[in-house]
Amino acid sequence: MAGIPHDHYEPKSGFEKWLHSRLPIVSLAYDTLMIPTPKNLNWWWIWGIVLAFCLVLQIVTGVILVMHYTPHVDMAFASVEHIMRDVNGGFFIRYLHSNGASLFFVAVYIHMFRGLFYGSYKAPREVTWIIGMLIYLAMMATGFLGYVLPWGQMSFWGATVITGLFGAIPFIGPDIQTWLLGGPAVDNATLNRFFSLHYLLPFVIAALVAVHIWAFHTTGNNNPTGVEVRRGSKEEAKKDTLPFWPYFVIKDLFALAIVLIIFWAVVGFMPNYLGHPDNYIEANPLATPAHIVPEWYFLPFYAILRAFTADVWVVAAVSWITGGIIDAKFFGVLAMFGAIAVMALTPWLDTSSVRSGKYRPAFKWWFRLLVIDFVVLMWVGAQSTDEPYATISLIAATYWFAYFLVILPLLGVFEKPLTPPATIEEDFKHHYPDAPTAAE
Amino acid sequence: MIKKLTLTAITALALSTYCVTAQDTTTEDQATDQATETETTETPAVEEPAAEEPAATEEAVTEEPATEEAPAEEPATEDAATEEEAPAQDATEEATTEDATEETTQEAETEVPAEEPAAEEVQAEAPAAEEPAMEETLADEEAAVETEDHAAEGEDHAATGGHGSAHIEDVAFSFEGPFGKYDVEQLQRGLKVYTEVCRACHGLKFVPIRSLYESGGLNYTEDEVRAYAAENFEVFDAELDDFRPALPSDNFPAVTGEGMGPDLSLMAKARAGFHGPYGLGINQFLKGIGGPEYIHAILTSYNGEETEVAGNFLYGNDAFEGGYISMPQPMSDGQVDFDDEHANDLDSMSMDVSAFLMWTAEPKMMARKQAGFVGFIMLVILASLLYLTNKKLWAPHKYGKEMDL
Repeated sequence: MAGIPHDHYEPKSGFEKWLHSRLPIVSLAYDTLMIPTPKNLNWWWIWGIVLAFCLVLQIVTGVILVMHYTPHVDMAFASVEHIMRDVNGGFFIRYLHSNGASLFFVAVYIHMFRGLFYGSYKAPREVTWIIGMLIYLAMMATGFLGYVLPWGQMSFWGATVITGLFGAIPFIGPDIQTWLLGGPAVDNATLNRFFSLHYLLPFVIAALVAVHIWAFHTTGNNNPTGVEVRRGSKEEAKKDTLPFWPYFVIKDLFALAIVLIIFWAVVGFMPNYLGHPDNYIEANPLATPAHIVPEWYFLPFYAILRAFTADVWVVAAVSWITGGIIDAKFFGVLAMFGAIAVMALTPWLDTSSVRSGKYRPAFKWWFRLLVIDFVVLMWVGAQSTDEPYATISLIAATYWFAYFLVILPLLGVFEKPLTPPATIEEDFKHHYPDAPTAAE
Repeated sequence: MIKKLTLTAITALALSTYCVTAQDTTTEDQATDQATETETTETPAVEEPAAEEPAATEEAVTEEPATEEAPAEEPATEDAATEEEAPAQDATEEATTEDATEETTQEAETEVPAEEPAAEEVQAEAPAAEEPAMEETLADEEAAVETEDHAAEGEDHAATGGHGSAHIEDVAFSFEGPFGKYDVEQLQRGLKVYTEVCRACHGLKFVPIRSLYESGGLNYTEDEVRAYAAENFEVFDAELDDFRPALPSDNFPAVTGEGMGPDLSLMAKARAGFHGPYGLGINQFLKGIGGPEYIHAILTSYNGEETEVAGNFLYGNDAFEGGYISMPQPMSDGQVDFDDEHANDLDSMSMDVSAFLMWTAEPKMMARKQAGFVGFIMLVILASLLYLTNKKLWAPHKYGKEMDL
């Protein structure tokens, strides 16, 4: 299935031949695992494995939690406490699951920024990129739905605020919101459907992940130089690549172990650090928390949502032109989804002839600024909407859009890129002068 | 400035359901609604030591605005007027003319204690230095004069607790840090404090009584717990259709009803003592989230003030956002006697009960840390082995030679 020529599975024994002619499943596993992988991949390429691990971790711990959880407004909070107190090892399973979500998002953000820097989204990998964005959207939905289930104060009011975003859509918004909630407000119907969808979406993600892997196994991995693997012959390809097993599996597992050391320490020693104390207060529709804050991984986009207030001239202009149909609230919602949409469009917004940011001197700086911008947005998303936070978030949100919509297209025109090495082998030799010429 | 903002914005719509803060006076009619909705005052507390006469409150009303705000430097007098107006909208004119109507006096009164610690702070930080104080008060004025929206946002600040006026003292609890362990004797003392003081108004509905003899906690024997349960609690048994003495298999009873306080099962995880700085989460990382510290601070920070808002008494507490809490001071020095004659001053008992409430919130903390520790070590070993495997595996391809390990 891979486009890079390599040795394929040959059924040898009678049984293997028998099975292969009926279901070539061993062949599929073999080809997937033995895919030729650029040998110059650096440590930024390990997050895919971490993400795969997270998905499995979340599904396994989640399935166990479901065995003890009760999706009912009167019992959900108590059932979580039941898990924490009465279920054998329940406290650890739950903390793994709640912090696992955080690890999942840490990994996905690094994975995405890696792709943005090394131009992994560019032709011919646009489909891989788009599917990745869909996975990210599904992850955000799953994370949000899951946060509602413990039925704490933040669960309840987070659900109220986020579903309220849909209520901002002109004309049909309120109806959509009611439809999503299953009633006029967040209540038992909401909790039940969120529970159902929270269980469903991870399997959708798993399917998308399979397609994601299928897509980049077809195009081959990108690599730090952005130069394609030579595919003229098996021998040529071997100079640029090593099989995924065992070389990259062991390397990635090592990296995963390091990541898990930190993760395990967080779960063991400070499992509530990333949570919000209010979520240990049972949901109370009559008492609004003074400060409703989403989970940290939503903060950058939450900041963008809040950045465009009615007094920003763009918002005022749009509102005036549309005759008030797009008001500040709806504008914010559009901006938030737009911030993700522009990322999805990167393959067509980046006009540079060079793929990897390593060989793009000006791009490097704009990209670093984007990373800082992301961190600033994340920070400001947790602050109030007073000054100076309002201005900071507006500037940061503006840069986010400017990077994708203005800087990326223009850089390709004005920037003078350096010349990347001709082959991956050359790049590898540059790092390891003693490397033998013919790999194997 | 943020710090002061919270003061001028008068208040916190506090996170807990049992508080009514000065904010209630500012938003008038909503206030009364809200007051009736959200608060469950603890005014009729059973064990109220040294309850002050309501008369004292009235005195405070007349005196304090003058005396207490004085240290806040010259502009203070003007500010006092503006600050009071800003959130009160309608009351603007009365305030400026210093025509002390009921409304304004009430506000002044509620605001004063919030002002108090700040003034002290200024003095402490920069004795006789007027400039910083000026700056702050000016900032106040600016903020206070701004629209009501901003005032409301200021409240948000206050309510997050992080940037607010309330000061939470860090306590070196034995269970902190990766190797920290619950102090069994402290937990036992804490249980005694809970049983003799807190339980009058606060339940522990998520905590099974049996967990008192389960490992990682108070280390009582099953018989001791059986006796404790029967002696102290009655529960309603649906099968008997009657009350019976509690068994270890029951949970601590919930305490509900008029004037009762919030359940304490998870209180130590539901409050944060430390934030920031600047929303960066560094303090939480270094000191912990600070739930037990928050409880300790609340119990030890009563300042003897009292006020009445919408018919409910509120008690001055420097650790509570907004400065007033609906729980009267629950404990005083020497209130509980311990069998081993351990120190029973207020500070010590507050620490004990805070530690106990951390245990009720996180009874499996010891097991969790142990699992964390074991997993950590095993992962370090695994990572080391994978590191060596990886190195050996790649050596021929990177350096053209085999590697001996």
